[in-house]
Amino acid sequence: MNEQRKDILDMLAEGKITAEEAEQLIAALERDQPPGASSLGTRPKNRAKYLRVVVDTVENGEPGRVNVRVPLQLLRAGVRLAALIPPQALGEANAGLNKSGVPFDLTQLKPEQLEALVEHLDEMTVEVDQPDAKVRVFCE
Amino acid sequence: MPQSMTVRVQRPDGRPIRIWIPMLPVLLVCSPVVLLAVLVAAVACLAYRVSVVRALGTGWRVVCALPGTRVDVEQRRTAVLVTIR
Repeated sequence: MNEQRKDILDMLAEGKITAEEAEQLIAALERDQPPGASSLGTRPKNRAKYLRVVVDTVENGEPGRVNVRVPLQLLRAGVRLAALIPPQALGEANAGLNKSGVPFDLTQLKPEQLEALVEHLDEMTVEVDQPDAKVRVFCE
Repeated sequence: MPQSMTVRVQRPDGRPIRIWIPMLPVLLVCSPVVLLAVLVAAVACLAYRVSVVRALGTGWRVVCALPGTRVDVEQRRTAVLVTIR
């Protein structure tokens, strides 16, 4: 429950205000709240549909721009496709990673974990700012 | 499944080229090649002991998830835009 709404109800319970005043205060409180804030807990939040990668560069004074939009559904399908990689290929990839100084075991990465990662991508924003380049990765 | 693909190329002289590709006719024309690719993929799945049905199902799912993809690259006065609908 909203803290301010609880205070109003407490004041009503203690007899400091009448029911009519409490109703007016709650109505005023709802008016002051931004649209959608009152039902945030009950309504499912708008889920992101796309992953966007935007790269702005300046090369020799000439601007360049890469703007990629990938449906998150495609990422989910890709994750399922990755689950089909045969174990021997994962073993070879692990050996290659180890040789490059990245001791990462790909066989320990489960499809469910990757799917959970994709599910939570909509809360992620990556921004890299450099004098000659700006990279933004976000979901919309 | 993707219905169409649009490729737009902006040349340095400023003249744009726009190509609209309907996917179904292209798929029908390329069906022998697609069939061959599916057979090769099935053989590869059997060789690597991966479920053929699961692999083809997942591949189809990837194809079906393509609509909405958009790649836009601009460099100097040249630009390429690929949209899948």
